[in-house]
Amino acid sequence: MRWHKRLLAAGAVAAVTLTAAACAGGKVRGAEDSPQPGSTTAPAGGAADSTFVYVPNLDVVTDWDPASSYSNEIIAMQNIYESLTRYNPQTKKTEPRLASSWTSSPDGKKWTFTLREGAKFHTGKPVDAAAAKAAIERTMKEGQGAAYIWGAVDKIEAKDATTLEFTLKYPAPLDLISSAGYASYIYDTTAASGDLKKWFGEGHDAGSGPYTIESWQKGKETELTLTAFDGYWGGWNGPHYKKVAFRVTPELTTAWQLLQRGEVTFVQRLNAQLFGQAGGTDTVQTSQTPSFQNLLVLLNTADGPLKDVKLRQAVQKAIDYDGLVAALKGSGVAASGLVPEGLLGATPGMTPKQDLAGAEALLKEAGYGPGGKRLELTLTYAQGDADQELLVTLLSSALDKLGVKLSAKPLQWSTQWDQGKAKDPSKRQDIFVMYWFPDYADAYSWFVNVFHGEKDVQFNLSYLKDEAVDKQIDELPALTATDQAGAEKAYAGLQNTIISEKAAVAVPYVQNYQRAFAKTVQGYVDNPAYPNVVFVYDLKPGA
Amino acid sequence: MPGYLIRRLGQAVLVVAGVIVLTFAVMRLVPGDPAVAYAGPKATAAELAEARRRFGLDDPLPVQLWNYVRDLLGGDWGTSLHTRQPVRDDLFQAFPASLELVGAALIIALVAGIPLGIAAARYKGRLPDLSVRLSSMLAVSVPVFWLALALQTVFASGLGWFPVAGEYDASLDRTSPLHLYTNITAVDALITGNWPILTSTLSHLVLPALVIAAYPAGVVAQMTRAALIEESSRDHARLERALGFGETAVLTRFALRPALNPVLSLIALVFAYSIVNGFLVEAVFNWPGLGRYAADSIRSLDTPAIAGVTLLVAVLYVVANLAVDLLQGVVDPRVRAR
Repeated sequence: MRWHKRLLAAGAVAAVTLTAAACAGGKVRGAEDSPQPGSTTAPAGGAADSTFVYVPNLDVVTDWDPASSYSNEIIAMQNIYESLTRYNPQTKKTEPRLASSWTSSPDGKKWTFTLREGAKFHTGKPVDAAAAKAAIERTMKEGQGAAYIWGAVDKIEAKDATTLEFTLKYPAPLDLISSAGYASYIYDTTAASGDLKKWFGEGHDAGSGPYTIESWQKGKETELTLTAFDGYWGGWNGPHYKKVAFRVTPELTTAWQLLQRGEVTFVQRLNAQLFGQAGGTDTVQTSQTPSFQNLLVLLNTADGPLKDVKLRQAVQKAIDYDGLVAALKGSGVAASGLVPEGLLGATPGMTPKQDLAGAEALLKEAGYGPGGKRLELTLTYAQGDADQELLVTLLSSALDKLGVKLSAKPLQWSTQWDQGKAKDPSKRQDIFVMYWFPDYADAYSWFVNVFHGEKDVQFNLSYLKDEAVDKQIDELPALTATDQAGAEKAYAGLQNTIISEKAAVAVPYVQNYQRAFAKTVQGYVDNPAYPNVVFVYDLKPGA
Repeated sequence: MPGYLIRRLGQAVLVVAGVIVLTFAVMRLVPGDPAVAYAGPKATAAELAEARRRFGLDDPLPVQLWNYVRDLLGGDWGTSLHTRQPVRDDLFQAFPASLELVGAALIIALVAGIPLGIAAARYKGRLPDLSVRLSSMLAVSVPVFWLALALQTVFASGLGWFPVAGEYDASLDRTSPLHLYTNITAVDALITGNWPILTSTLSHLVLPALVIAAYPAGVVAQMTRAALIEESSRDHARLERALGFGETAVLTRFALRPALNPVLSLIALVFAYSIVNGFLVEAVFNWPGLGRYAADSIRSLDTPAIAGVTLLVAVLYVVANLAVDLLQGVVDPRVRAR
């Protein structure tokens, strides 16, 4: 037999084998891989199958366990699970979710939540105080992801079916903590007969939210589909999307074309050019909302030339804030202080401006600048981040005019962070650029993590060590829990101290969420407390 | 032949071993701590220490290399830092989709490239020949990313003839669930008679497969042309012409068979090349294959996943080379003697 005939014969054998395998049975895509918890997955009311198709740029699910989930899956989890409260950035207050009301003691150390009646888990069990206590205690015990948010909790008691009482070790705003995007979910800890974590990992859910998992196919384009939970406490009267599909599309151009063709409903992110195009397209609407994530330019207060506060202030003044925001073409907005708008503590009137003459004068006072000694500074920033690169280019050019040489190094986060945490202070950078965002809607996150003195450096990468500042930061949780007006004042004062007096940081801009979605969608509001989340139940599908 | 086979297999094993060592070295030498990538940017010192312990990052490098090789041989390709799934499972999910796409592209390349090569050889120096040479040169040199975007914009987004992206209409999973045997969607749909998914997959395949097919089709056309021209100038072709066979018959009935031997060998090499060449095409058409997995892994500094993709592609190259060598050994005994 000639060799190509042999190949043909081998091909024929392979085909026969495949066919034989087919007859022998196999896995079913969209069925065996796709758990349908309980008997609650059918769309309610038999209404038309209206599907909201969400386009993220990255894979959706990295961790299904509501105790430890701390990544992209928030966009799905917030539609499957619920927390006790939800944060409203417009009112800067928390609103009822699984808890219908709550009270706190005058010292902010005892919090009592009343759970809404009639809420059920997707497993069919009622959402009562005992179940909520078990869920939070399991999350605390697992201690992963954002579980630290419950750090103030000393004791949880289920007083009766609807009353959940927390005793805290120190005063803390538990209504805010309970609204966190991660680690605040209430779930049925008895959902699995065996290992709960493993059960979650297989793609099951035990939430009480409006949607439950219909199918999950890791690596596929439509990675995840959720379907309406018939027993949802909010009911399904009126127009609602009955299904939510997550179609992973890393290429922004492709995402835009899918939206234009009407194949998807919502695109998480577009670039400036495509976003501009979307704004002028009849079938598409857009929204822009400042996020809770801002860029921090942290100045080394402990070592090197920037130990001199005048030089730190000179660097602050050299930044071309307006030029940077203009160059970002809508993906960033001017910042006013450390706390982004929409959070308690946001302080208007702190928007910085470039002041090269002021910078030159400060440099001169310190013996540097044009005609003086040449100053060399080192800066590290995130590799591959075009917005940070823009900041560095503008700053480098402005400093160059002032006789300051900036050596900027783009690094992977872990390398940049390692250098920032170096035990030997001489190995650290003068300027560290990074983003910061809170895990729940509380400005305290910036202050305690980034500006509170630390024994071993973690995120205090300006190395600020000031007992008076630390004391004021330590008082913030109690103030937020008991005296919000006092907290506002304290936040304003601290921001003034840290930015103006200590010059430990410059805040060039706050990132802006730019969304594009189908014109038919009604009722969409971006909530920066839950990054990239669309609360699909709240939307109305239009014609 | 057995000696030749053993020699070539031994060389292939050595190459794979070298790739494993290189992959490991790159994983450990690139800047960035995999523990930070796994534990997240806000990880505490305790969480970082746990991640380091879990991945054995505290062990000396030779121990880490030994563990890596041992695990690889035991089928453990590590855990992806991004998907948190075993890398082997991720690759098992992604590779069949790439195989499907590249397989379709190579079928298109052969079906288009061989007839074009014959036409060019038949009309050597005339307009058809010039057209084939020009178009094959264009096909070989045009950047795939550009071609992908252009075809997508014109034929999918503009004219609406084909879907913009994806492998098939995902809503079919509910109405026509697919039984999986090979994990290659089109093949599984064909052998189980799932026509809705088969037709949807084929319509989704057209544009990305055409883009990937451009390079191999160009190469096959050029090679077929060259081989046919050489073959048709041999003594046996002169004899066939003297016997009254026309030029087309000489080319297709007598010259084509020997001329196709190098072309078929080339296809094996082009296959491995096309898998990598298809990475960008997969990104544009959102094809859930190795390319998209590799892009996600690189974005998230997922070193075990990057190493997994690298190793798989390297093994593909080695296997393709080995297959070509063995094939040539079967076809031409002189090769075995070298």
